[in-house]
Amino acid sequence: MGTDRCAYLSRLRRVDPVPKVWFTLAALLVCLLADSIAVGLFTLAALSALNLALGGQRAGDLLRFLRVPLAFLVIGCLTIVLRPIGQGEALWAFRLLGRWCWGVTEENLRLGVLVCCKAMGAVSAMYFLSMNTPMTDLTAALERLKLPRLFVELVELIYRFIFLLTDTAASIHTAQQARLGYQGFRRSIRSMGELLSAVFVRSLHRGNRVFSALESRGYTGCLATLPGQYAPGRWLYGLAAAVAVCQLLILFAERRLLP
Amino acid sequence: MRETKSATLLRMLSVAAAALGLTAVGGRAMHIMEGYLPVPWAFGWMAVCLPFLAAGFLSIRKKVALNPRAKVLLAMCGAFAFVLSALKLPSAFGSCSHPTGVGLGAILFGPAAMVVLGLIVLLFQALLLAHGGLTTLGANVFSMAIVGPFVSFGLYALLKKAGCNRALAVFLAAALGDLATYVTTSVQLGVVYGNFLQYLTIFAVTQLPLAIAEGLLTVVVFNVLEKYARRELEDLAVL
Repeated sequence: MGTDRCAYLSRLRRVDPVPKVWFTLAALLVCLLADSIAVGLFTLAALSALNLALGGQRAGDLLRFLRVPLAFLVIGCLTIVLRPIGQGEALWAFRLLGRWCWGVTEENLRLGVLVCCKAMGAVSAMYFLSMNTPMTDLTAALERLKLPRLFVELVELIYRFIFLLTDTAASIHTAQQARLGYQGFRRSIRSMGELLSAVFVRSLHRGNRVFSALESRGYTGCLATLPGQYAPGRWLYGLAAAVAVCQLLILFAERRLLP
Repeated sequence: MRETKSATLLRMLSVAAAALGLTAVGGRAMHIMEGYLPVPWAFGWMAVCLPFLAAGFLSIRKKVALNPRAKVLLAMCGAFAFVLSALKLPSAFGSCSHPTGVGLGAILFGPAAMVVLGLIVLLFQALLLAHGGLTTLGANVFSMAIVGPFVSFGLYALLKKAGCNRALAVFLAAALGDLATYVTTSVQLGVVYGNFLQYLTIFAVTQLPLAIAEGLLTVVVFNVLEKYARRELEDLAVL
């Protein structure tokens, strides 16, 4: 499902997840705090390149995931760039219903491009984490980062159950579709309602069965598992520092060259 | 003359196509993407969410201490919320979108549990599906796991007390909970980048049909559950 498949095939899979989390957060925060077009583009390029080179991901996969947030970005940047403006300063303008003047100003265009570059840089940083770290490693990292035990257990259990329920929902959906269950709006709503209630009831049954199974194996309220064997991955801290230095250098260069 | 007429027709068609395109992406576009909010706003929304999360977490911990079965059931409910949000919701204009499950979850599990489950589901959506993001998690949790569920739950409780028809109460709770989520998202975007009304118009146009579809869907789910799963619903009382 989603980035999960890539994460299990990644070359960085056996590396300790905690440095990967810090590496990603550092690149992400510097990219956001720098608030500059050049740093955004650099982060996008650098983190994508590291993702391909270190993680051994396929470029096609990465491009496919980078396309996902584009829908939001198009709407979000359009509303920044195109908005009601006063007289005069527009690069391009038109009258809406004869009364309001809408258009593009240089300032708004700049802001739109800035937000777009910054967001894509941040997204590529997030992909470095999610495409190279299986979710089970990440939950182990959450526990080592001192999040409450109950919360981490809920995350682990939900992750496992997602796959169970997706299977159930998919097979019911196929069965309904084979019987023309999604022809027309009324019937689609009805079929989907029935699917959801069936999945819900089954999930409750499954939950009860899982609990009985746990209890019969001596469950006392805590799901203890052994931590995985990881390569230490301390070099990622060095890499994080190097990336941050490059980001800052580019920021200074941009401030110098473009007044 | 004919030339200009066909040109107008072409322009109108392209506008209609663009509007349909917007409805198609609308369902996914609700999660604020990674990096879209400036850092102070991103952390500000996280801070706003913290008290709700703490309260929700404490209430869950109390329930789990009373009844250990609750932990597994809660996890199943969280997984259910994720699967629900991955389904394609049929919409009136033939475009497809995804249900939010805000109303259904709030009525079934209560708003306190929904805060924590919502956080986990949004985390998975960000990491596994790239919908939403890590720094925007606070803003997304606030609109989808706090405002929406509280509106739905409050409305449902109020309408039930007022003796309203149950199907109507479920419909209104789910549809208006959905809309409350979109309005919150537009406010969150509007306060940062200005132009709040424009965000609201885009969301209203694209999301109103989806909110109605989700309201209808929630009614169907409740009717079926009422008919065939009374005992299971009683099980939920432990949550």
